[in-house]
Amino acid sequence: MEATERFVRGQGRYVGDIELPGMLHLAIIRSKYARARLLRVEGGISGRDLSAVIPDVGEGARGESWKIKQPVFATGQVNYLGQPVAAVYADNRYLAEDLMDSVDVSYEPMQPVLDEQEAMTAEPIHPGLNSNVATDQFIGKDFEAKDAEVVLDDAFKIGRIATDPIETRGILVNYDGSRLNVWVSTQAMFSIRNGLCATLGLPITSVRVMQADTGGAFGSKSAMYPEYAIAAFVSMKTHRPVKWLESRKEHLTASRPGRGVSGSMKLFAKRDGTVIGLKGEIIVNGGAYLDGLARFSPMFIGMQLTGPYAIRNGYVRAISVVTNTPPLGPYRGAGRPEAAFFRERMMDLLADELKLDPAEIRIKNATDQVFTNPFGMRIIGSRQFMTEAFDSLEYYRLAREPNGRRGVGISCFVLVPALMEGESCKLKVDNGRIKAWLGGNSHGQAHEVFVRKLIGSTLDVPTGVVDVQPGDTDMITSGVGVWGSRSAIVAGYATVLASQMLKEKVVKTKGLYTPEYLLAGNYEAEVLNEKFDDPSLNSFGANLVTVEVDELGEVTVEECRSYYDVGNALNREMVKGQIAGGMAQGISSVLYEGLIFAKDGTLLTDSIASAGVPPARELPHFVTGITEHPSSLPHGAKGVGEAPTIGVPPALVRAIEKATGVRIRNIPLHPEVLIGPEK
Amino acid sequence: MKISVNFNGRNVDADVEPRKLLVDFIRDDLHLTGTHVGCDTSSCGACTILLDGVAVKSCTMFAVQANNRNITTIEGLSKGDELHRLQSAFIEEGGLQCGYCTPGMIMTSAWLLSNNAAPTEKEIRNGISGNLCRCTGYDSIIRSIQKASSDRRGGRK
Repeated sequence: MEATERFVRGQGRYVGDIELPGMLHLAIIRSKYARARLLRVEGGISGRDLSAVIPDVGEGARGESWKIKQPVFATGQVNYLGQPVAAVYADNRYLAEDLMDSVDVSYEPMQPVLDEQEAMTAEPIHPGLNSNVATDQFIGKDFEAKDAEVVLDDAFKIGRIATDPIETRGILVNYDGSRLNVWVSTQAMFSIRNGLCATLGLPITSVRVMQADTGGAFGSKSAMYPEYAIAAFVSMKTHRPVKWLESRKEHLTASRPGRGVSGSMKLFAKRDGTVIGLKGEIIVNGGAYLDGLARFSPMFIGMQLTGPYAIRNGYVRAISVVTNTPPLGPYRGAGRPEAAFFRERMMDLLADELKLDPAEIRIKNATDQVFTNPFGMRIIGSRQFMTEAFDSLEYYRLAREPNGRRGVGISCFVLVPALMEGESCKLKVDNGRIKAWLGGNSHGQAHEVFVRKLIGSTLDVPTGVVDVQPGDTDMITSGVGVWGSRSAIVAGYATVLASQMLKEKVVKTKGLYTPEYLLAGNYEAEVLNEKFDDPSLNSFGANLVTVEVDELGEVTVEECRSYYDVGNALNREMVKGQIAGGMAQGISSVLYEGLIFAKDGTLLTDSIASAGVPPARELPHFVTGITEHPSSLPHGAKGVGEAPTIGVPPALVRAIEKATGVRIRNIPLHPEVLIGPEK
Repeated sequence: MKISVNFNGRNVDADVEPRKLLVDFIRDDLHLTGTHVGCDTSSCGACTILLDGVAVKSCTMFAVQANNRNITTIEGLSKGDELHRLQSAFIEEGGLQCGYCTPGMIMTSAWLLSNNAAPTEKEIRNGISGNLCRCTGYDSIIRSIQKASSDRRGGRK
């Protein structure tokens, strides 16, 4: 049965749906404070029983080491609200939650450091460190813009956001006496396998990870987490299957949230609108424990600051700090939206300063040929794209309409996909059917659709003979994961290469290729992508948003439109579905969402509603425009998944600014900003 | 406590703990896992079922409160192999991505269409605003409901 039919019938098999005989349920006792000395932990399983640290795996992993690593259980000190302190287990979840009361924990609360700017000068949160600054690097080259006629500076802040998939995290571990069999809701089964092995000191062959149907992720389900190690530990200890399902409140406190970045920008330009250079400082809130993502993030944001424009000078200070908040994770875009927001805000400021049209100033700074920015990012010519985009979005018509309390905003950006090597596809032909396994599998992107299409077209077979198998680390050598707008590109490419390999095998045995020869035989092919670099894969996008803002600062989004170069769309409906869903997140990340902490570290937004996931009545109808300029890969794909969360926020914020006359520097945006006395 | 509930046309007698939520009874005791849990504050609607034909979030009720009532879960919506028109429409219009909110969304939609055979877009947006979807941005869900509505009026089951 097709995945979509299983889902509409209620026959999905999410991790919460899997039952094993004798299964135990795990409940986690978590820190009540953002920062406190841990004086006593009595009862349950705690750091005395399992002393281990979480390795750097998943999106953004760099394999670098930093001396403060996240422990599975806190000992000595807790460093964020929701940090695991102890665990209990029982035959069902009700009993496990009852047992939580049997664990006695004493704390001595301390003043937390929650904000990235505050962390720069605050006393170090971790004993033994001199400062909260974990990375502090300069990228690009310092410059003097002597010919600059306009110099503008401004500072911005993007708050933390929870990823909030409707299915929270979950894992089921069954230790069979020799191996750990793991079912998990994930974006990256190999990261979970490698993470469990590294945390618990197990050989790779002793863990099998199977991806259950995964109910959304948006970045938070690629990392290794303490709860996974605890479930595995308890299963090995009890020789029983152990299930842990995250509650929503746990998700909001203890899953990795995204964003949390401050940026100061200085822009140097000529009076004709030509931008000469850009300087900046980026401070990323890495949370209580850093891994590769948090350390890489400020550089990644800095590197993209020129976007689709030919800005020749750039110099950025890229900082990440530790704070008493959950460790930073990726959230749809993961650095890309931050870069676009900082840059597009400055382009709008420049347009206002020079009294030029925002579209005109963007086109003026576009490039006609391949351009390498001061940080090494390469783009192809962007001018033609922008010209087409503003026409297609009907910017000029909408901008001319009388406005009153209405406003129009546009944005342009580059989507830099995550192209790291090692994405994989394995194909096996048997009994007239082709089985396909991927290293990174769907959590809502319908990989099976493009895999079938690419196999069908490469091998000239009906797509109906292809069975895309669930993710299973025992069935394929290795893989990376599903994030960073990469799957259509890298998993698609691996699928094409594996299909071509099958073809060659048929030719080798039969002298020529026919689909009949293929399906009559037994063949196998497995491909791991090598790294490739093609500037056309850094794809362009533009958004337009119109709003009306009432006298109370309530924003109504009227039009939300995209114009994205998605390469060769492998399935147009899926692409448009990704865009609509992403635009909803782009809007809500400005207007509704956010994790808000009180000064003492208490989370004020502790439900999915107060954290701002919007219902249908708060969102507009989306106009999902695309253009298809194929990449140089054989299947012509480019990325799309993150485009809307990159492009929508700056366009929306600009529209609000035009409607209200209030310059907007911080998101999420609160209505009082729009009607405050400073106006 | 002993309860007797009609689930998807089948009578079920059970002895349940008074504190057990209806959603947990449905999932853990009846193994009808199409009814999902997405939050702990009755905000997301993933657990929506029909109670005597009315859409209810099954995390807001105790199982004992369902005594002598008729409950339809997503598993009871189709007639064997034959999908309910809403289920077909969600597939045809791409009204789902990860599929997790889908059963609750479809149950709410069934209730919506039972009260209003031809809802406007605004009525649909309001009608499904107790159910959260994080993937689609709702447009494709609204199209799915519109399609099911016009299919019904066009005579399709």
